[in-house]
Amino acid sequence: MSIFREHKSIADRSAADRQRHKKLIDRAIKDSIKDVIAEESIIGQSGNKKIKIPVKGIKEYQFVYGSNQNNKRVGSGGEHDIKPGDQIGKKQEPSQGDQAGNQEGEERYEVEVTLEELAEYLFSDLNLPNLEKKKFKFVKEKTLKRKGFRKAGIRPRLSKKETLKRRIRRKNAAIKAGTHNPEDGERFPFHKDDLKYKDLKPRLKESSSAVAFFLMDVSGSMGKDKKYLARALFFLLYQFLNHRYDNVEVVFISHTTTSKEVTENEFFTRGESGGTMMSSALELELDIIQKRFHPSSWNIYTFYCGDGENWPDDDPAVLEMLPQIKSMSQLVCYTEIISESSSRRRQFLFGSDAFSEELWDKLQPLTNNIFKRARISSKEEIWPLFRRLFGRDLK
Amino acid sequence: MKDWSVETLQEWDKKICESGKRFGLDWYPIDYEIIDYHEMIGAMAYTGLPTHYRHWSFGKSFEQTHTRYHLGMEGLPYEMIINSNPSIAYLMKENPLSTHLLTMSHCLGHSDFFKHNRMFKHTDADNILVRFKSAAKRINKYMEDPSIGIDKVERILDAAHAVKYQVQRTPERRRRSHKEMLEFYKDIVSSDKEGKYDDFDLEKIPLRPDYNLLAFICEHSRNLEEWERDVISIVEKESHHFVPQAYTKIMNEGWAVFFHEKIMNDLNLPPDLQIPFIKLHNQVVRPHVGRVNPYHLGYKLFKKIEEESGIQACFVAREVHDDVSFVRKHLDEKMCRELNLFSYSFKKSRRANTIDEISDEEGWASVRDNLLKTVGLNSIPVVRVESVDKKTHTLHLQHEHDGRDLEIPYANKVLGYITDLWGDEVKMFSIVEDEIWEF
Repeated sequence: MSIFREHKSIADRSAADRQRHKKLIDRAIKDSIKDVIAEESIIGQSGNKKIKIPVKGIKEYQFVYGSNQNNKRVGSGGEHDIKPGDQIGKKQEPSQGDQAGNQEGEERYEVEVTLEELAEYLFSDLNLPNLEKKKFKFVKEKTLKRKGFRKAGIRPRLSKKETLKRRIRRKNAAIKAGTHNPEDGERFPFHKDDLKYKDLKPRLKESSSAVAFFLMDVSGSMGKDKKYLARALFFLLYQFLNHRYDNVEVVFISHTTTSKEVTENEFFTRGESGGTMMSSALELELDIIQKRFHPSSWNIYTFYCGDGENWPDDDPAVLEMLPQIKSMSQLVCYTEIISESSSRRRQFLFGSDAFSEELWDKLQPLTNNIFKRARISSKEEIWPLFRRLFGRDLK
Repeated sequence: MKDWSVETLQEWDKKICESGKRFGLDWYPIDYEIIDYHEMIGAMAYTGLPTHYRHWSFGKSFEQTHTRYHLGMEGLPYEMIINSNPSIAYLMKENPLSTHLLTMSHCLGHSDFFKHNRMFKHTDADNILVRFKSAAKRINKYMEDPSIGIDKVERILDAAHAVKYQVQRTPERRRRSHKEMLEFYKDIVSSDKEGKYDDFDLEKIPLRPDYNLLAFICEHSRNLEEWERDVISIVEKESHHFVPQAYTKIMNEGWAVFFHEKIMNDLNLPPDLQIPFIKLHNQVVRPHVGRVNPYHLGYKLFKKIEEESGIQACFVAREVHDDVSFVRKHLDEKMCRELNLFSYSFKKSRRANTIDEISDEEGWASVRDNLLKTVGLNSIPVVRVESVDKKTHTLHLQHEHDGRDLEIPYANKVLGYITDLWGDEVKMFSIVEDEIWEF
């Protein structure tokens, strides 16, 4: 005779493992974001736009046989009339390389996030450096402060202590009421009502005001790919500032041999042909600083993106103006977008033709914790560079 | 609408058990847990075990199963039983009485199979639950240990799971430890009169190729901490428990279907139970077009044996065979034709799966042989430990190539996991597109 047992509890035994699985997916999302940030589709979009991030399922690998002619499998034809040579299932799309991900049956998650959420993901552990307490102007910094408890909330904010306290209280009450006897070893599980979550209240904190200058070379030598990378980097910087500070002013300056101040939209979308004179952009920036953003009340951030192919005749002017800007700025970043081939050519030139000292090298003496140089050649390098500039682990 | 109570189930259980005995079944006592849908999916995620160690893959499995049912890709779950004494089986609250009756009859078949098939000899059904419980406790202890923590434990579990099916292919035999093996070879070498073993190196590791990767690593890695060895051996022991089921999927399901049909017909069900039963039964044994439904194939084969040689021959078959020998012996041309089986493979030139042979006069034997290559553990590549370098401690693995090439990106990932466990360098050899390939 068999035994029948009806379960009374509503134990959700896989909850912890599901949570853990979700965490791994979250991590995978974060990893994919690095690829996504440089995708054209999100550049220059507004904050509420939703972005789909494809995340590969967390795969469990084992030794398996590949799909090849020698690996024959067997199936049943059911009622169908079949003959050798018949095709089964769909044609496979040509796969991209030998990645361990193009397998049939692969799980893919598509996670939809808004730009704002994306920024939250990316920037939550970064902070603008050197935010000196200058004269307070417009800017308020948003912070969240822990305050009190609430009944509902997300898992990471679960207050174990408060929850435990409530369970103990309930348990003691149950013992008094005689509904629970601790002697007989029966579990006294947590109840939904026990759960307490830490509450967060937003607070506006006074903070100094900041202005960011985005300078970009849009001349002919900046090819499409390079502009694309520059845009991606500026996009991140812009999202970062927008996310973190209420009233950060942003000035966009695009330059060829001459410079002009442009709108955000123009900055990211318009390209021009012509030569390269970086000094013109710096001159314009100095002018704008003088007119609109006095260093005594503004934190100044300057980000320059170019391909390093400045006209040599212009270099002395650049070297003269950059220290001025540096002395007023909290952070100046000079970024060269280079292609793999050009970096090789550079090495070659350097060996054979030593007099052609690059602007990059001439800037070397300026570098310190305020002035930084960076070279990137692929979208994968954008995020590490970004972290290097703004991570707390800076120094 | 719930059309049953525990009392009804008990009454029917009595009849089902009596019927099962009349047919000659001999099973472990069965404990039925009556649970709801979520618990059922939960139980399935943990392969039915009431207590099991934690790992994210079970959370993933839960989500996947849930999604499949949710999207209607599968009907409601109805059957889940584990190989223990007593056997633990699950009945899902949401199912109607007719489904429960089928499940209960089906479970007698499984439990009888667990008790009698030779592959299950070493699964230690009496103590299995206690063992799993203690394993879960230990893993939990490591996860909560501040000096270890969940991340480190997960790293070992991730890696061990990747090779959990790399076990010796003879589950009915116990693996001998290195010490036992050494005694064995010492005896051989000292009693060897013909000089065949003059060159035998008693210091080499392993003394003969080892197919149980996890057990070997536990025994010989010089980089593992005690808790890590314990975690690896927990995974290895669990494999031991489940490998016999992998070896007998077709037989085990076939046997259970074969008898649930007999028992249900024996019960003289009223039409309001009989009709839904027939519907569900037909669903269970329907051929899956493009695949092989183990329930269907196993059921058909036992039917055939019964017709040709009588029910006693069925009982003998359920005791002595595993899927490979069972299919090889009993799947003949007539049956292949009846099931309309074919073999297929992926053709690079056409970028699609294409039928190679069908079950006609020339093709059927080849179809059967190809089927044999995918039943039991034959769909899992065999990788053995060849040697360990005495100086560098490099682990040399050999894939036993049987014509089928490994999926290289996967193999690379798995080798990464093996390196995580072994702690020294790992090398593996195989054949890819007719060339020797070193991983």
